[in-house]
Amino acid sequence: MPILAMDTATMVSSVAVADDKRLLAELIVENKLTHSETLLPNVEQVLKLAGVKREDLAAIAVSMGPGSFTGLRIGLAAAKAIAYGLNIPLVGIPTIEGLAWHYPVPGVTVAGFIDAQKGNVYTSHYCWNGSGFDEIKSIEVLSLAEAVDACVKVAGPVVAVGDMVAKKLVKLDNLPKNLIVPPKHMLMPRAANIAMAGLNRLAAGQMDNIMDMEPIYIRKSEAEVLWEKRQQALANDAAGKDAK
Amino acid sequence: MDKEKIITLAIESSCDETSAAVLEGGRTILSNIIATQIPIHRKFGGVVPEIASRKHIINIMPVIDEALSKAGKTLDEVNQVAVTYGPGLVGALLVGVSAAKALAFSRDIPLIGVNHLEGHIFANFLSSPELKPPFVALVVSGGHTSLVHVKDYNSFSLMGQTRDDAAGEAFDKVARVMGLPYPGGPQIDKLAQDGNPLAIDFPRALQEKGNYEFSFSGLKSAVLNYLNSMKLKKIEVNKADVAASFQHTVIEVLLAKAMDAIKETGCDTLVLAGGVAANSSLEKRLRETTAKNKINFYYPDKILCTDNAAMIGCRGYYQSLAGKYSDLYLNAVPGLALQDLE
Repeated sequence: MPILAMDTATMVSSVAVADDKRLLAELIVENKLTHSETLLPNVEQVLKLAGVKREDLAAIAVSMGPGSFTGLRIGLAAAKAIAYGLNIPLVGIPTIEGLAWHYPVPGVTVAGFIDAQKGNVYTSHYCWNGSGFDEIKSIEVLSLAEAVDACVKVAGPVVAVGDMVAKKLVKLDNLPKNLIVPPKHMLMPRAANIAMAGLNRLAAGQMDNIMDMEPIYIRKSEAEVLWEKRQQALANDAAGKDAK
Repeated sequence: MDKEKIITLAIESSCDETSAAVLEGGRTILSNIIATQIPIHRKFGGVVPEIASRKHIINIMPVIDEALSKAGKTLDEVNQVAVTYGPGLVGALLVGVSAAKALAFSRDIPLIGVNHLEGHIFANFLSSPELKPPFVALVVSGGHTSLVHVKDYNSFSLMGQTRDDAAGEAFDKVARVMGLPYPGGPQIDKLAQDGNPLAIDFPRALQEKGNYEFSFSGLKSAVLNYLNSMKLKKIEVNKADVAASFQHTVIEVLLAKAMDAIKETGCDTLVLAGGVAANSSLEKRLRETTAKNKINFYYPDKILCTDNAAMIGCRGYYQSLAGKYSDLYLNAVPGLALQDLE
């Protein structure tokens, strides 16, 4: 029962085909080409490499975010439409849960650092439970310093993963002693991980609804934030006038 | 295969409507589903790209599913997928393009990338089954104003387009300054019905014969300056007169250039296309003038003037007859322009 997996949350475009027994084929590409151009040709290519016909796919798994808003939507729109076109289930996997699958080691915490712009990161922590990952610190937006600080409080080793590790984290001084920075090729998303997490979900009987799924954004759009600020200011002004 | 039986599934997500349609042959609409976001963007005074994209990713599959079920067709019966790949908001376009590519891939059927502006012109083929090229098309939408000589279904010549602001942009900006709710075009049109179109003499740009380019930024500034100076002088303006005079100026410019283009090309047919085609005064003025000059005049039904996937399906169908397909590398092109096509 082959599953197709994709991850377009960051600069990395990755697609993979796996089944219950093994990873059949995987592409991991980080170049300047856009996801919108390359995702579908890569999907076509990875199926060819795996020797799997599209109509033989049994499910799709997709990285849900957080990450680049546009990248996430390119991946999710494609995943939804393939699931619809082939009439197969779709499961969404949090991007940092996918990253955690780089380190399925008992007693090790995996901390995600995904670029949230302006020096902030989307961060959450996962721990291997023997067959999958438990989220032990739920996702939020923190400054990079706060996110590093959250790792100090963890008992035992913490492995840092995500696009902000190479971009910003390694440049910080005085990293916590329990924080491990892996080599560059073990920091970024890969679709094989999404496939493994997806197979777990499917085995547990879980699937998502393609009719209303949306990416995990965490953050609102700038326009909404500004609008809410303005409404708040207006409300405060009005309250001030009433008080007078 | 009988080309009249070709089933095209079309997708449009270039701005603030998510739409999917199913066509049989080039001109029979089996369904045309449009999920509009206008109420969502109204509080921001205009379309917010990120919010539009977020709505598209939620709406895209329900809209496609509804289009198929309303058409009474299954995916098995769909022969090809057409999708808008530009112009428009890049994040919005990408949702439709990505979904269309994935559908074409998963069903192993051809994909056709469609220029949204060409789609607007082709909306006329859906409203008017008897319409055939050649004709002159006046395309007037939120972001574009152009005159196109449509020689054949796949042969166009761009006669001229806007140098700066499109007509629709000027409408929206003037409406916003007058405190009218978004989208401003229909509001100006409504307000203008009670105003005197000759009350204020606003400037008209690029009036020389044989110039088919448009410029509305000077007109826009003139209206804004007029409103400002009246405010400074504490003179109450008659908003209906401003709306009517502004609209009149836009319409007369469009009309004069369109009639010149008809004369130069020797066409006997003028076609109006784009969102601003829904403007009742523009449509009326063009209808009267063309009738007087014995020129055939076509404009789309109101629903086909707005952004919709049926027009994309129609354009895609005629592209497919000429073998103009896209591959899976198709990307969104936000600045895609109308171009000569031979």
